[in-house]
Amino acid sequence: MNVALILFILLLLLLTGTPISIALGMTVLTFLALFSSFALGTVDIVSQRLFTGLESFAIMAVPFFVLSGTLLTEGGIAARIIRFALALVGWMRGGLAMAAILACAFFATISGSSPATVVAIGSIMLPAMVKHGYPKRFAVGVIATSGSLGILIPPSIVMIIYAVSTSESAGKLFMAGVVPGILLAGVLMLVTYVTARAKNFPTMPRASAREVWVSFKEAFWGLMLVVIVMGGIYGGIFTPTEAAAVAAVYSFIAAVCIYRGLKVRDMPKVLLSAANTSAMLLYIITNAILFSFLLTSEQIPQVLSQWVVDQQLSPWMFLLAVNVALLVAGQFMEPSSIILILAPLLLPIAKSLGIDPIHLGVIMTVNMEIGMIHPPVGLNLFVASHIARMGMTEVSIACLPWVFVLLAYLALVTYVPVISLWLPGLLYS
Amino acid sequence: MGRIFNRVLDRIEEWLVASFMAAATLIIFAAVLHRQSSAIPWLWDYTGALNFSWAQELCIYLFIWMAKFGAAYGVRTGIHIGVDVAVNAAGPRLKRVLVVLALSLGAFFTAVIAIMGARWVWFIHGTGQVSPDLEWPMWVVYLCIPLGSALMCYRFLQVMARFVKSGVLPAQAHGAAAEEGA
Repeated sequence: MNVALILFILLLLLLTGTPISIALGMTVLTFLALFSSFALGTVDIVSQRLFTGLESFAIMAVPFFVLSGTLLTEGGIAARIIRFALALVGWMRGGLAMAAILACAFFATISGSSPATVVAIGSIMLPAMVKHGYPKRFAVGVIATSGSLGILIPPSIVMIIYAVSTSESAGKLFMAGVVPGILLAGVLMLVTYVTARAKNFPTMPRASAREVWVSFKEAFWGLMLVVIVMGGIYGGIFTPTEAAAVAAVYSFIAAVCIYRGLKVRDMPKVLLSAANTSAMLLYIITNAILFSFLLTSEQIPQVLSQWVVDQQLSPWMFLLAVNVALLVAGQFMEPSSIILILAPLLLPIAKSLGIDPIHLGVIMTVNMEIGMIHPPVGLNLFVASHIARMGMTEVSIACLPWVFVLLAYLALVTYVPVISLWLPGLLYS
Repeated sequence: MGRIFNRVLDRIEEWLVASFMAAATLIIFAAVLHRQSSAIPWLWDYTGALNFSWAQELCIYLFIWMAKFGAAYGVRTGIHIGVDVAVNAAGPRLKRVLVVLALSLGAFFTAVIAIMGARWVWFIHGTGQVSPDLEWPMWVVYLCIPLGSALMCYRFLQVMARFVKSGVLPAQAHGAAAEEGA
């Protein structure tokens, strides 16, 4: 009964177009006003939670990674990464599209965000592909889809948020994203290659060994970021949050001193833009924590979990239901909010069914990737339509075949847990 | 007069969030360097005397302040996105009503939080609590809730006033949110 009421209030608020963060907070206030007649104790808990909810060093990886991503993106790393990717795979059939996918995968190791990946790689590769005679639809589909690698390949903001809202280890989740990320890049490249052969897309001249080397050297400093982050976390040199802070300083040095895409006097602008995004994310996180506090105090996760156990759902049926629910949610909300609202609800159920929390994290992340290229609120679609100057509808159609590729991939990741769990199992045993 | 006030407020807001961000980054970076320097004996002779145990706490406080004031800045830049399916489907009149409703909900919520936060700060002030590492008075640290939320409320009202007058919302936001969002 309370579940239905809470969800009803939330839904009603969301439909007005109120920011998701405000809607979450208002739901809590409304519920308290209706049922605890604003007993002063509960109200004080709310104001306290608004601060203590954020009082966790793990959450602070979010602003650091946002800053480091902004710095390198503005610092001109994209062009170097693309040059390197072109030198590696440009000579194959459909080489430009293959290179675009590879470049997105590389860029994903620098940025924890999918739309940022689409912007950075797409704004260069999309015009290039169109110029070389690729159908525009195909080009847009490739870019929007492979941009979604941003949240699967570590570092990933979505994964940090999952880790925070479920108290799992962000380091383990990052490790769990490595193999699925590489595999997905491989799958996308394979599909592109097959399409390119069938439709006879152009190739590029083979790059000389020297060009491969020179372009690698150029891209090296950017690509080192993921090595520092993952190596540092795994080697126990620093925590994920500290790794993110080190990454931000490293990105500053790379962007200002090595790539010279930014000057010191650009810093206020970059800091402000990173602060804007991270404050938005942190504000959603605060209110989502408040919301899940309400859920917990009404014992809703336990009730749901008990219900699922009583239905004697088998794990695979549960996972199927999770996938469907997440895909539906992905039509209306952006990833961070979905994870913050649903992960605390789903995790207890998954645990009682013997599903690994890390595996669930990867499943949710891949689901979010699909949500990004799926109308009506796929963020990648918006960004891609902006870059390509194509309407939303057309971009959505361009991405449709890729949605099916990703769905097939989602099934693979969901039902073959070893893809996600092998690497963390190996490293953290 | 009002215009000058707003301009000064804008600059203070921007300056605060940008410098909190930079400060937090530098502090944590320094703390990591400091800890790693313990592996180098000759360096540790100098750095060993320093104490960075407060760094995490300060970083958290800086980011919470950054988040509270940044959220207010975000209202101005239109980065707080909602579910716009119904709004987009609505006709122009209903759309106008929905937008004003959504903005007033934002203003109402942030106003309530500002008042509740102020009550909370007052209560903590009475307890004389200090933070565990820095030993700063907690009521000062908690001040970001009423201050940030009040500023955010002001921003919602500002955006609403502009919308009612001219029908314009801050650069709507998918492009901006997509910069690094999600």
